[in-house]
Amino acid sequence: MSARLRIERAGPLTTIQDRGRAGLLVHGISASGPMDEDSYRRAGLLAGARADGAIEVTQAGLDLIVVEGSTQVGWEGGSFSVAINSEPKTWPGSALLNSGDRLTIKPGPLGNYGYLRFGGALDLPQSMGSLATSTRARLGGVEGRSLRAGDELVLVGEGVAPVVPLASGAGTGPIRFVWGIHAEQFSRDLRERFVHGSFRVTAAMDRMGVRLADLDNAFAGASILSLVSDPILPGDIQILGDGTPIVLMRDHQPTGGYPRIGTVISADLDRFAQMRPGTEVAFSPVTVEHAHRLLRSKAK
Amino acid sequence: MSDASIETSIRPDILPLGDAALLVRFGAVLDDAANQAALALAQRLRDDPIAGVVEVVPSLISVLLRYDPRAADFPRLAGEVRLRLGGVRTAAVPREHVIKARFGDEAGPDLVEVAALLQLDPQGFVDAHCAIPLRVLTTGFAPGYVYCGFHRESLVLPRRREVRREVPIGSILFAAGQTAITATEVPTGWHVIGRTEFRNFDPRFWPPTTMMAGDTVSFEVDA
Repeated sequence: MSARLRIERAGPLTTIQDRGRAGLLVHGISASGPMDEDSYRRAGLLAGARADGAIEVTQAGLDLIVVEGSTQVGWEGGSFSVAINSEPKTWPGSALLNSGDRLTIKPGPLGNYGYLRFGGALDLPQSMGSLATSTRARLGGVEGRSLRAGDELVLVGEGVAPVVPLASGAGTGPIRFVWGIHAEQFSRDLRERFVHGSFRVTAAMDRMGVRLADLDNAFAGASILSLVSDPILPGDIQILGDGTPIVLMRDHQPTGGYPRIGTVISADLDRFAQMRPGTEVAFSPVTVEHAHRLLRSKAK
Repeated sequence: MSDASIETSIRPDILPLGDAALLVRFGAVLDDAANQAALALAQRLRDDPIAGVVEVVPSLISVLLRYDPRAADFPRLAGEVRLRLGGVRTAAVPREHVIKARFGDEAGPDLVEVAALLQLDPQGFVDAHCAIPLRVLTTGFAPGYVYCGFHRESLVLPRRREVRREVPIGSILFAAGQTAITATEVPTGWHVIGRTEFRNFDPRFWPPTTMMAGDTVSFEVDA
């Protein structure tokens, strides 16, 4: 089973992602990879995917047509509206697409990122061991850029039997973090205000980072100095010179010199990535040991 | 042991960076001792790796260690890092790079101003800039981007007031007692003093960059 797909419509910043190219920070390249890793994984189970790789769909959705062949397809992540040849399907879900079928993903009630995965492998060149698109470094995917109408994707090989994963336990409540590498640069008072304050996800958000509105002015007027640069990882919460908090995401800059008050724990980063602009968010500190226990208790 | 041995006597901070990495930081200011200490630890971690560590990233005055959070715990890793600190150790023999560059004119629009600020004529500045080999202090700011230093005290200038939105690949940048070489189009607030044909980033090859922190860099005028 193999297939050729044509993108008819792609929302802005729709990209090809796989698990990413971790290990290249020394070369100045962040890992990229799915903004919501668990939904990416689950979409793969639904699709019976035998290879790494997905279309990461953004809020505005996607239309594609199967030009030839057939393929199993699975979708998950946030909550979008999906239809095949105008017939609505459930989200998350899966289907067999045949030649001539049109898959339409439209905005839904929840989330920023959805994942479309396939039984066969995306036939795209690997860049440094990965298909993941980094528009910042112009690497991976289709010519290192976002997908657009007219792009064709070829799938090769057979998938495996699709599996319906258990319901996801994405969780609710404050986003948990570990105090950051510069936490001591912030006064005790400022740290308290960070933990007790409310923040809002703003529209200034993409795969590089998410800017937050500081609703209680926790950082207003704080003197934020820039420091000697250190490497960055996804989840780092930087406070910019004007007091704006920004959470760095999968396509983050590789190094940074603004103070980092905390780092979002691995177990909560997917949930944070799916928060839409306008969502209020609070932060709660945990220990590294607690964060590790959460990961180990998560059935994978 | 010879000149290649390095004494790392700075006691670093070992800090969690989230739940999947730790940062070993040597002090709070960029100076030669802190940079040498970070490079020496990174070298030691390459020679004597810690089980469970999946990535080691030396930076200006720190080293990041990324680990698998499902398989490692922070106190054990911090202990393993401490065992690799201190004492005298032999650094790897640094590789040497000669970078031919054109200085001034279109290639280096800020050269005349930089020279004047340092009370030198442009030729005098270029000679002084290229007189002494520099060390790659760190990589990683952008693909293939390298920071080289340190210049002597009399060549130290702050950054420009304005940031240029994009400078060409191969730009030679100068500020803060350092020279940087770009390998992608990046924004910069540093002075643009020249340009080289050397390209330190090519994603078609492995490794994608060839200059490593600790390497020696000499600049030559490309006549």
